[in-house]
Amino acid sequence: MTRRDFIKTASTATLSALAAGFPRPLFAEPEEKPKPTAETVIVLWMAGGMASTDTFDPKRYTAFAPGLKPDQVLSTFPQIDTTVDHIKLTAGLENIARVMDRATLIRSYTAGDLGFILHSRHQYQWHTGYAPPQTVAAPHIGSVIARTLGPRDPAMPAFIDIGQRFDLGEGEELKAFHTSGFLGSEYGPFIIANPEDALKSVRPPAGMSPARFERRETLYRKLLAQSPIGQLGSDYQKESLLRSLDNAHRLLSSPAAKAFDLSLEPKGSYDKYNTGKFGLGCLLARRLTEAGARFIELTTEYIPFEYWDTHENGHTRMVDLKKSIDAPVAQLVLDLEARGLLNRTLIVLASEFSRDMMIEGKPDKTVKDQVVVPDVINELKHYGMHRHFTDAGSVLLFGGGMKRGYLHGKTADERPCKTVEKRVVIEDLHASIYRAVGIPPKLSYEIEKRPFYVTRDGLGQPILDLFG
Amino acid sequence: MRYGLLNVGLIVWAGCCGAAQAAITPEQAAQLPPAAGHAVSFSREIKPIFEASCINCHGRGKDKGGFRVDTRETTLKGGDSGPAVLPGKSAESLIIALVQGVDPDNIMPRKGSRLTTEQVGLLRAWIDQGAPWDAQVTFGRVEPVNLKPRLPAIPPATKAANPIDRFLEPYFAAHNIKPPRTVNDRLFARRAYLDVIGLLPPPEELETFVADRSRDKRERLVERLLADDRSYAEHWLSFWNDLLRNDYKGTGYIDGGRKQITTWLYSALLTNMPYDKFVAELVNPTPDSEGFTKGIVWRGVVNASQTPQMQTAQNIAQVFMGVNLKCASCHDSFINDLTLADAYGLAGIYADGPLEMVRCDKPTGKKAELKFLYPELGAIDPTADKPTRLKRLAQIVTQRQDARLTRTLVNRLWQRFMGRGLVEPVDDMEKMAWNPDLLDWLAEDFAAHSYNMKHLIRQILTSRAYQLPAVNVGEQQQQQDFVFRGPAVRRLSAEQFRDALTCLTGAGYSSPVTEVTPSESEQKKFAPPVALKWIWNDPHAADKAKAGHVYFRKTVRLAKVPADATAAVLCDNSFTLFLNGRKVGSGSNFKEASLFDLRPFLKPGDNLFAVDAVNHLPDNSLPGVAEPAPGTENPAGLLFYARLRSPDPGPAAKVAQEDFGSDSSWVCSSVKRDNWENPGFAPTDWAAAVVLGNMGMVPWRVSEQYLTAKLAGAYPGSVRAALVAADPLMVALARPNREQVVTTRPTAATTLQALELTNGETLDDLLKRGAQNLLTAPSAAPGDLISTLYEKALGRKPTGPELQFAREIVGQPVQPAGVEDFLWAVTMLPEFQLIY
Repeated sequence: MTRRDFIKTASTATLSALAAGFPRPLFAEPEEKPKPTAETVIVLWMAGGMASTDTFDPKRYTAFAPGLKPDQVLSTFPQIDTTVDHIKLTAGLENIARVMDRATLIRSYTAGDLGFILHSRHQYQWHTGYAPPQTVAAPHIGSVIARTLGPRDPAMPAFIDIGQRFDLGEGEELKAFHTSGFLGSEYGPFIIANPEDALKSVRPPAGMSPARFERRETLYRKLLAQSPIGQLGSDYQKESLLRSLDNAHRLLSSPAAKAFDLSLEPKGSYDKYNTGKFGLGCLLARRLTEAGARFIELTTEYIPFEYWDTHENGHTRMVDLKKSIDAPVAQLVLDLEARGLLNRTLIVLASEFSRDMMIEGKPDKTVKDQVVVPDVINELKHYGMHRHFTDAGSVLLFGGGMKRGYLHGKTADERPCKTVEKRVVIEDLHASIYRAVGIPPKLSYEIEKRPFYVTRDGLGQPILDLFG
Repeated sequence: MRYGLLNVGLIVWAGCCGAAQAAITPEQAAQLPPAAGHAVSFSREIKPIFEASCINCHGRGKDKGGFRVDTRETTLKGGDSGPAVLPGKSAESLIIALVQGVDPDNIMPRKGSRLTTEQVGLLRAWIDQGAPWDAQVTFGRVEPVNLKPRLPAIPPATKAANPIDRFLEPYFAAHNIKPPRTVNDRLFARRAYLDVIGLLPPPEELETFVADRSRDKRERLVERLLADDRSYAEHWLSFWNDLLRNDYKGTGYIDGGRKQITTWLYSALLTNMPYDKFVAELVNPTPDSEGFTKGIVWRGVVNASQTPQMQTAQNIAQVFMGVNLKCASCHDSFINDLTLADAYGLAGIYADGPLEMVRCDKPTGKKAELKFLYPELGAIDPTADKPTRLKRLAQIVTQRQDARLTRTLVNRLWQRFMGRGLVEPVDDMEKMAWNPDLLDWLAEDFAAHSYNMKHLIRQILTSRAYQLPAVNVGEQQQQQDFVFRGPAVRRLSAEQFRDALTCLTGAGYSSPVTEVTPSESEQKKFAPPVALKWIWNDPHAADKAKAGHVYFRKTVRLAKVPADATAAVLCDNSFTLFLNGRKVGSGSNFKEASLFDLRPFLKPGDNLFAVDAVNHLPDNSLPGVAEPAPGTENPAGLLFYARLRSPDPGPAAKVAQEDFGSDSSWVCSSVKRDNWENPGFAPTDWAAAVVLGNMGMVPWRVSEQYLTAKLAGAYPGSVRAALVAADPLMVALARPNREQVVTTRPTAATTLQALELTNGETLDDLLKRGAQNLLTAPSAAPGDLISTLYEKALGRKPTGPELQFAREIVGQPVQPAGVEDFLWAVTMLPEFQLIY
């Protein structure tokens, strides 16, 4: 019996049992199961804390001038118009401004109260819905979706994570939530640290030609057929091993693998995206969505004190950061729309919390400062949002059943620029994302005999206002 | 007031756990369902209502609102809100007002469905009839399962000798199972090697075992493997690291909250520390073992159920007692009888002051009463200081009366060897075993044999049950109607897979991530049997020698490539070692011996060792080409030791050794010639090396103890995967991140794992290095290479067709890429990756 025959003859029931595995879902009541409005989710992660008043929630602009009092400064960028009259953004986001008529913008996202601010703990909470630590390893939202819905295309990993390296500062803390946790590694992230190297992850090992790769596979099948164990009856472990190798081989030799190859993109289109690693990541995300990806997270990458983690030079760094995201994010929206995919793809641009020039934490729950803010700003490096603000933040959504040109929530116009209307917390944001893909917020998986809900304790409520 | 029943007392208790007080108005009393009109039976009609609707919160050790329905007395007495049942007066009894839902904000039961009108009527009738109670019925706490010791009699002997098989004979008979013949010698040996020491059987040892005709050879093999203390320790280290969540890096270490116990654990396994002592030293730790109970100190604000003391309580409960305390550390558990008070009772033992109980992150205002989870095992004096409390706790947990401890370990090992526990899941020891007599007997036998883990392993591995053909239990893993028919097909662990690759290819890890100290007896095995000398080209070199290069050579004739071949090199100041013209490695710290695995470079016949030794300038810079300035002389010397051992596969099991060291039989020159490091070069004008003195001479003072500890601790090329940090390959193969206790690793293969195996860099690099090693090995002829690899990997020779397929890909002459691909194909076979 060849391996192919084996896979074919293994009963459907057996294979589905293998696929289902443990832990088993404890299903919510059927009437709660929402009708999906999206098949794919793309999270664009602004790692390190993106200041909303310098991006998607403009306040009074105060230009830099030596002698400025920090408490006078609310935004370091002037505001700009968008294609939606009542939605303004800050300068530097002109491309995104032109696609705001396709967007739902939340300005009232409020991060948890986890004490002394640590990015990794807030990121953990954003990605799992639970504040760390937990008594069991909590799964990433991408793993929950991968586990619950499976891949869209069998050859395409269901959860793809683009842009994060794990051998840098706080790598261990990042690993703690880039995981399928107790759901099992089948649902873990397929990691592409650098989008330009994406092809490497779905190609035979470096230096191995496709012909040699196939020859190796053929030898394997021949040896398998000869192996006396291979001829014994089927068992769970063997089926699982053969099936997994078959899946891997299928991905590595499938047409879907072409989606990972950015060199196949026409130059004009490639250039539109190419603002660097993040921009090319957007291009990769688009190609993978076209090829049947289920859940993609693309990060600007979290490195302590880099990218959005602006402890100083906030304004000047923000100019470059916006440049890196503005054109590719807008292009991703337009390209998906042109391909008829936008209304089946939910894009979520978010960050673990926002920033402010004065307040660390929340106005009524401030925590220990980590950034020294001078009484008077004389140097440009002190001009910017450097403290970690958790009482308001922006989340930008496109497609996947969300309203178009809709603004949700409001923040105060004067400091503290806290949330004043329609507060959004992580379990409700997650419940909304889950609802979009047809997963009830009370769905739970059993672990150590207790239910573990996909939103914190099953309490997440989808924000129905967001849906079109 | 709409209901006219709220009184002031209710306001005190309005939270999630609110109790109730009710006085009922005559109008409301008139609304109550009528009492049933017959004589009510307590056991038939009332008991089921209590069981379905009351005892989850008010029985089995729980006392929400201070109310317990354990007995008639406690039920009548009521809780914080006063008497619950007034016999003869159902309309005035609080319990009736609550189940009827007179106050819509205060309805019992709080969870689950409400009582029906009929049920309320039954309860009323029961109360009106005087609330009779069957004295035998209690809803109080029941005796925990699998806690007390029990020694069942071993069924009478028939054919089977091993007690396990005698317990299983009636079991098999009852299930109409006729056990098949045990597996053949090769399969048995593969299982035993992998289960005891985690390594594949070496082909010579396997053949000797198969050829052995004695009846007790399987017992003797198990015995011999268990006696290999070091390999045993390095295999079981992974199992215990998972359980004790000990790892070499990860979150929590940087701020000092988390602490490794590797040194303690390694030594405990190496010396086969009795399990009661092992547990006692973890529960009541020394500074070396405190990492387990220290827990992870998370930064920022954390949930009350994750304080370090609570982590400790959860982990002690799970690892040693096989019971889940995680639920109970937030609220009374819904899945077992443990309560919030139990969790805080145990956590409080580790706290420095009184612990306030926090329910679902809300402080209760109550302090924990110190106690162990099973108070029947003994009390903790709450006035005692912490060291005394910990000592007492360790006594309680490890006493002979605590047979949960032994049953939990027996069950974990049974699961390890058989693929499924006697109790499943293994962390739910409050479930019954599928053969309680067998579990109980093994636990008692283990305790009676001084808690000797190796004894327990021997008991299981020498049973026929262990030696039965492997069965497919994957899908009935968790099912309660499981029937044992033999061990499950299992999968190599990440560490076993990686160590097996090391055995196949010689491409191993060069150094462990943590220094572990081998036992003294282990170290003694590494004492050099030859006197090692410092050499140079100048008799005064130990005092002062010219800065510059000195080239050394020595040729050694070997009949075959030794199984172990290690070089240790010390050079003042730096060196490069060549063997047969190929660079082996270099070193530049004259205080540290550099170790090298020589096997990939050796061949049968003459082998040329060549060392380019460099005496640096006094500022430790490298000497230039020009003659060094006068006055720059400084001490110089080279110490070399090669340990070359081949096991003799004969019955006497002697080891042939061909060790040699640096001495005057080496030749040297200060002039570099082309090809000097190659065997073809003739050193006609080279002088004999000058011996400066013994290894311990000044200025270097290298002790034999240092060298043996170094060789024993970090045997190059064969450092086990358990001793290095997880790499992407091991992570993909399910080696866990040890932030939480892991008692069972997932074994099903996954696509992401298969991708890592198919194109991951870690494995690819390993295969490349492995192929290089195999190509330079003496048996590099294609047929030999293929056969050797099959024997090492699968414990058998290849069949004709296998040899032919393999030859096609390996190439003639052998190609590195072909060898890589062949290695890959063999190691992906289920026959390799699974344990049948």
